[in-house]
Amino acid sequence: MNSAKVDEQTLYQAATGWLKSAVDILLGAGVEVIAPIETDPGVVELAAVNSSEAVALDYVNARLPLKRLLFPVTEVLLEYEKQSDGDVDVKSEPAASPKDVVVIGARPCDVAALEALDKVFHWDYDDVHYSGRREGTTLITFACTKPGPQCFCTSVGGSPHNSAQSDVLVFLEDDGRALLQVCSDKGAKFVDQLGDVAKPAPAGSKLPAPPEVKARFEPEKVKQWLDESFEDDFWADVSLKCLGCGACSYLCPTCHCFDIVDEANWHSGQRRRNWDCCSHPMFTKHASGHNPRPDQASRCRQRVMHKFKYFPERFGQIACVGCGRCTRACCVGQNLVSILTDIETRAKGGANCDA
Amino acid sequence: MSTNTAITEPLQRAAAELLSEGKVAVVIGYGMDGDSSFSPPLFAREPQEAERLVFDDRCFGNLSVYLSKDHIRRMGKIGIVVKGCDLRAVNVLLREHVVKREDVVLIGVPCAGQGDPLLGKCSVCEQRNPQGCDIVVGDPVEQPQIDAAQRYSEAADIDAKSIEERWEFWSGQLSKCIRCYACRNVCPLCYCKRCITEKTVPQWIETSAHLRGNIAWNVARAFHLTGRCVNCGECERACPMDIPLGAINQKMAQLMDERYDFQSGLSSEDKAPFTTFNVDDPETGIL
Repeated sequence: MNSAKVDEQTLYQAATGWLKSAVDILLGAGVEVIAPIETDPGVVELAAVNSSEAVALDYVNARLPLKRLLFPVTEVLLEYEKQSDGDVDVKSEPAASPKDVVVIGARPCDVAALEALDKVFHWDYDDVHYSGRREGTTLITFACTKPGPQCFCTSVGGSPHNSAQSDVLVFLEDDGRALLQVCSDKGAKFVDQLGDVAKPAPAGSKLPAPPEVKARFEPEKVKQWLDESFEDDFWADVSLKCLGCGACSYLCPTCHCFDIVDEANWHSGQRRRNWDCCSHPMFTKHASGHNPRPDQASRCRQRVMHKFKYFPERFGQIACVGCGRCTRACCVGQNLVSILTDIETRAKGGANCDA
Repeated sequence: MSTNTAITEPLQRAAAELLSEGKVAVVIGYGMDGDSSFSPPLFAREPQEAERLVFDDRCFGNLSVYLSKDHIRRMGKIGIVVKGCDLRAVNVLLREHVVKREDVVLIGVPCAGQGDPLLGKCSVCEQRNPQGCDIVVGDPVEQPQIDAAQRYSEAADIDAKSIEERWEFWSGQLSKCIRCYACRNVCPLCYCKRCITEKTVPQWIETSAHLRGNIAWNVARAFHLTGRCVNCGECERACPMDIPLGAINQKMAQLMDERYDFQSGLSSEDKAPFTTFNVDDPETGIL
């Protein structure tokens, strides 16, 4: 949803101390600033900050993805209250106000993932809750310098320097300076606010080379096999160890399934939207008792099919950005890259390998 | 990481033998995975697959969680690799008639502790040498004496806080919960076909990840495991939000120990206090 794509080569050189200036200027203008901070030892989350001091610069990725700021784990859709005359007063929760929020320091994969969420939440119905937050959010992304061992963005069309959906892509330099690549009008406004701190980069300035993230599989090959393998025994084998929890989906920057619940007492209540996921048996269980996905094999298949077949067919892109969170979070070592490379081997007619 | 060849080799031989003689349909053990930070579960169904089994200091999982899974049970008789701590969960599954002893072949592995540095639960482990298995591979390891103070030190640290500090600590920790239910699904003793949090008529537990719902869920989880939980630590390991669930479990275990002189899972013959009537029951659990 970048309002306008500007020349990708619009580069600025930000002076040492630019981050402190940026945070101070934004906070001074009443803007909420979200940035990576260490919340537990070795754990970084994107959270509101009131100074630049706490901002973590040296980290692989936030524990929870950026999506939670736009599509929170739980949110109120409407509230209702029984009146003394017996009528029920329904108060629709106003759409999230387009409060200005600037997220400084999310990773390119998390930001690129918003393209998938944008498509879902603007598809057959414009989700005002998501849109309101999205419109008001400016994304100042930190290019990756140190991808983690489970990262595979380059296998799914991304890169440590991917600027998709970013308003500014920041290349941090060791001396505290930074190169700012402006990618949208919102980004231009951000750089403008910095005043003298950011100046047009000298002609001929070059972006650093991205760190290597080895490509592990070709998604087109994976899809070829998926197109013909709904009933394959592979799904039973690959799902043997899966325990059906939601850690992979909840930590996924593109997973977007939700449940809607009413929570009420005798007099009043709230209708809420909560994260849900296809790994849980209850996700597809009908009121009749029938469950069209009755076992973990069909649920594991759904997760892979949705990301690498159904979503591309419907929206023209893969619903995976290669952040590796699912693999890092899985308590039984389920490894998405192993599953996909195994599928690719099958697509090429090769022998079975470990999943 | 260091592979324990003194266990891995006889383990592979024993598993291959069980499979080739048709004594089990599957051996559930640990396998090597170069991409993983631990040795994940491996299901060997053919004798040659037993070569992929390993035992090292990254065998964190409690594999007994699979004993109650329908898709695993349908395979037939199960051979399963158990450390001493895991065996305690198997004992509870036997005690609660979830698993029949004749349906499993227990392959015990002596274990001097997992992780480098040692996991917290391993530093106070009192079951390094599994008892009552069908097969034990490898030689016994030294068993240090552990006293109650060491056993429940994490609970004691939290008890030392004031009520206000405790509330601040737990409300902060439980606020992080995203309701992914990894804690429940990885728990060998959370085998209910339908969890209380999935029941909607009435809705006993709010499923929203607000503090009220998260407290309801985590307290219900703890209550349902009191006197049953064997402190295997899997819930805490699985939690993607790093909530110290082990401290809650330890407190429950401490109360059972103090009030009923009972530690869950030491034997499959135990009578669990909450499912046993005893006229001498001090009933300290009743307020």
